[in-house]
Amino acid sequence: MASAFKRVGKDRYRVRLSPQEVGVLRGLPEQLRSVLDASEPDPVTERLFPTAYRDPEDRERQEEYRRLVTDDLLAAKLANLELVVATLERGELHQRRWTVELTEEEALAWLGVLNDLRLALGVRLQITEDFDGVVAPDDPEAPAKHLLSYLGWLEEHLVEALTA
Amino acid sequence: MSTTAPVRERTEQDDVVAEPDVPWVVIVWNDPINLMSYVVFVFQKLFGYSREKATRLMLDVHHKGKAVVSSGPREKAEFDVVRLHGHGLWATMQKDR
Repeated sequence: MASAFKRVGKDRYRVRLSPQEVGVLRGLPEQLRSVLDASEPDPVTERLFPTAYRDPEDRERQEEYRRLVTDDLLAAKLANLELVVATLERGELHQRRWTVELTEEEALAWLGVLNDLRLALGVRLQITEDFDGVVAPDDPEAPAKHLLSYLGWLEEHLVEALTA
Repeated sequence: MSTTAPVRERTEQDDVVAEPDVPWVVIVWNDPINLMSYVVFVFQKLFGYSREKATRLMLDVHHKGKAVVSSGPREKAEFDVVRLHGHGLWATMQKDR
């Protein structure tokens, strides 16, 4: 299968996907946004905004860390989402492949969003062992696991393109 | 591999006020979702480590469950933790002792 991401110049990356893949991706930013907007802490937000200070004696420092840092981390994640949504709207079909060119900043935003989506899915699916992408056909969570596997494949290709 | 890092047991020593110059270490813990290639990429990007060093640290995280990825004064360690959290890595910091 052709790589989904390719470096096409200094700080330029081309994304090529099937229309079906783009259809899947277009629905995801809104899901991630609703996770990020959650007002009550849950296991997903705990994973996306982890604890920095574990020692019980550093409890006050941890409270300060959360107070000072969470908003900045959230703002960065939302900014990544905005960039990804904009590029998903910008892309066009060329010879039955959906294509868009990304700047370095946009490519890094894709990386951030793909990774956040996978972390959120991993927590929701309660994945505790290394996930090898193998999904049993009768697994009730099969669709979500296939999505996790697909997003991992995409992310792997994006990292390859970024380090090429 | 596990999803939760062990919490260190509280000891008498914890009640001793640390000297201000005690260095802090930044620890990245293994998790089942982050890709190995992604973790190497993040170590290189954030710390300027060579591909070899970044790969060695990633493999330590993967096989031993955790690795110290940077150290220094508390402010510097916290700066590194913020950036690691911004990239979805599971990082904590603690006094080096």
